[in-house]
Amino acid sequence: MQQPSPSEETQNLLARLSQRPGVQSTLILSRDSGAIVKSSGLVTPEETVAENGEPIANGEHVSGGAEGQGSRKGTRNAEEVARLVFGFVKSAGEMIGELNGVQDEAKLLRLRTKRNEIVVVPDAKFLLVVIHDTPPA
Amino acid sequence: MSSRQSRQDEILAKRAKLAELKRQREIRQKEFTTSRQSLDPGELNQPSPLRNRSVNRDGEDLDALVSSLVDRSSSTAPPGTPGTPSGGKSRRVSGINQPLQDEGASTPRPVRSYQDASTDTQTLSFAQSQTVYEIPVETKQEVITYSKGVQTNEGWSSPRDLSEEEADGVTRSRSRRRRKLSARARELEEDQIRQRLRQEIEDELKSLQLQDTVPTDVSRFPARTLAPEELNAVTSSSDFFDFVERSSKVIERALDEDYDVLADYALQSRAVDGEDDDEYVGRKGRRIKEVAQFELSEPMGGRRMLSDVDFSPKFPELLAATYTKSAQSPHTPPGLLNVWNLHLKGRPEYSLHATSDLLSCLFHPHHPSLILGGTYSGQLCLWDTRARHQRTGEPVQKTPLTGGRTGHAHPIYSLAVVGTQNASSIISVSTDGIVCAWSTDMLTQPQEYLELHSPNPSAYKTDDVAPTCISFPASDPTYFLAGTEQGTIHPVHRYDRAGAKAGIDARCIYRGHEAPVTSIHFHPSRGKIDLGDLVLSTGMDWSVKVWRARPPSATSSTISGQTDVVKPILDISHDDLVYDAKWSPTRPSIFGMVDGGGNLEVFDVNASSEVAVGRARPSHHERDVYARNLSLNKLAWEKGQGKHVAVGGLDGVATVFEVGTELGGVESKGDAWVGVKKWVGRQSRGIMD
Repeated sequence: MQQPSPSEETQNLLARLSQRPGVQSTLILSRDSGAIVKSSGLVTPEETVAENGEPIANGEHVSGGAEGQGSRKGTRNAEEVARLVFGFVKSAGEMIGELNGVQDEAKLLRLRTKRNEIVVVPDAKFLLVVIHDTPPA
Repeated sequence: MSSRQSRQDEILAKRAKLAELKRQREIRQKEFTTSRQSLDPGELNQPSPLRNRSVNRDGEDLDALVSSLVDRSSSTAPPGTPGTPSGGKSRRVSGINQPLQDEGASTPRPVRSYQDASTDTQTLSFAQSQTVYEIPVETKQEVITYSKGVQTNEGWSSPRDLSEEEADGVTRSRSRRRRKLSARARELEEDQIRQRLRQEIEDELKSLQLQDTVPTDVSRFPARTLAPEELNAVTSSSDFFDFVERSSKVIERALDEDYDVLADYALQSRAVDGEDDDEYVGRKGRRIKEVAQFELSEPMGGRRMLSDVDFSPKFPELLAATYTKSAQSPHTPPGLLNVWNLHLKGRPEYSLHATSDLLSCLFHPHHPSLILGGTYSGQLCLWDTRARHQRTGEPVQKTPLTGGRTGHAHPIYSLAVVGTQNASSIISVSTDGIVCAWSTDMLTQPQEYLELHSPNPSAYKTDDVAPTCISFPASDPTYFLAGTEQGTIHPVHRYDRAGAKAGIDARCIYRGHEAPVTSIHFHPSRGKIDLGDLVLSTGMDWSVKVWRARPPSATSSTISGQTDVVKPILDISHDDLVYDAKWSPTRPSIFGMVDGGGNLEVFDVNASSEVAVGRARPSHHERDVYARNLSLNKLAWEKGQGKHVAVGGLDGVATVFEVGTELGGVESKGDAWVGVKKWVGRQSRGIMD
């Protein structure tokens, strides 16, 4: 009757997500502060030598094959992405607030660019961000 | 970074300057007051002619003092003083100096009246001076402010002084007047300057802060990063699990969306998918195409068998599948029910558990969030997908396992829900012949309890009946057919009727199968002609049979006391075990069946009652070179449109097929119904003859 523990399950889900074909990177941010809770496929501060010399313990990798993918594809800085996405979500929230009233809020943000697609799921406490290649169209 | 630093330096310097200014002012004031006090201490704060006089008396001293001050201030201008950033400021500052020069150069001003004097002179001298001497004084430093600082405190009295003096017509030395004028001017100007300075500093600070906010936003990200312990706390909170569960589902659905909303059909011609036509032989409308496959992932336990499958009546994309216990990982829950979503490939929408192998499942037809499951242990489980902690997968309700008259103690292979939206009950039947009716709201005790006994025990030596499957006609919730392991199909009444007790109706028996009956299904009959008496059954005797059910109230044969034996109107011999067969929910003449060889076959009795019109195999069977575990156990039609068929079997893979327009979809024409009716008439006559 022993089941996989919830944290394992969560890890598996995230690993699954990051291993999907086309997915470049995933990122989980805290909703209120924007702090990085988890990331994959992005360059995290401990991987790069931080400019100010102090390594920051943060943004641990999702276990599994995401590592390899991350080092190959992770050309962006996790913090940079986090900051940009956080700003994007915030401004989207403001827009929605002004458009539909403050009771409304964003449930899903899909941003398609020429190069890829950014999918953001904002929730009460966290944000899940996935950046993936768009199918060639 | 460097610019920020320099700005901070600037601000620091300015602060220092202000402090210096203040300090010097205090010093000067002290000097001044002491000199004043020595002369006329009592009148310091009361401007009056008397005081002016005293000032006059003291004129020379003051002149000296002022000139020294001015000189000093200009000379003491520290070379290293940080320059004010704006040219405007130095202009303003230098403007203070101008009255001095202006006064010095020009002839004495005309005498004014007492009241006007102060205001007029001020405005005049200022406006002119500022414009005229704009450029040359540009270079001057704001150092002058220092000297002004001295004068400020005195300012309250000095305008009067001047006007008094001028009114009096007292001649003064040039420097003296200059002093006076400038004192007035300075006093005002200084206020302005101070204000401007303050404002400027404030602006500067503000802009610095503004600029700071952007960098701090950047720098705040590392600053806000969570400590490892915090991170652990966050990532192990149930909030986080719930969030990941929900949001990853959303994202996967989004990524699974096949259709590209940005598709531009003008850009390029798509590859024509002509392969489908080649792949599926026969007419296009009859083809069966595989659209999805759901395999169990490792954490759910490998090597489970799929035991039942059902489509949601409300959400056509949801599909429930039950599984037996895992032969590979015994630590996983024995019973598993996965709700798969056609739009979410590779992981279940919900994963629900039971403490024993699940053998049957059913979406509650009237409550779209409720799912029923029957277990091998005889427990009936009810899950609610709305349940707050459905992540654990525990059923919200389950029946007791105590035996007696409180429930089942044998495997439940078949379930049904009968009744209407507002009054429905769950009927479950176990292989020991117990039929229970349950209320959806309370599973602790059956509402009805019925034991089935064989009507003629002599035939089987015991009166045990082992029902494996039941089916209710669409029109009558009090009566159903039960297929048994003995191969007979019995009509069962739930309640006592005229001339018959509750239980198996002894007056009628459906005999035809020579081996256990694996499935039985009444025609759903939602059309112009009532076909609700057609029953489809499958058996382990490698056959599929279609029956015409006797109306339960028929009393014709009871008089003789003879058992009425009903024969099938259609008997299709198959080349393998047939495990399940179901009528299409929308097409009257169509039914599908699955067999032990792993085939899905779709029959159309209007087209042919002997040969299947469509046939398909799950694609993963093709890859399986050893051809093990091919058998398909169950089949389910999607209930709304009838376009999808889900099948599953021994290997635990659920496969969904889409059938062509001739086999699925909503029937629009009435001829199919008429055709079936005619066909039934022909078949019945054939049986009679």
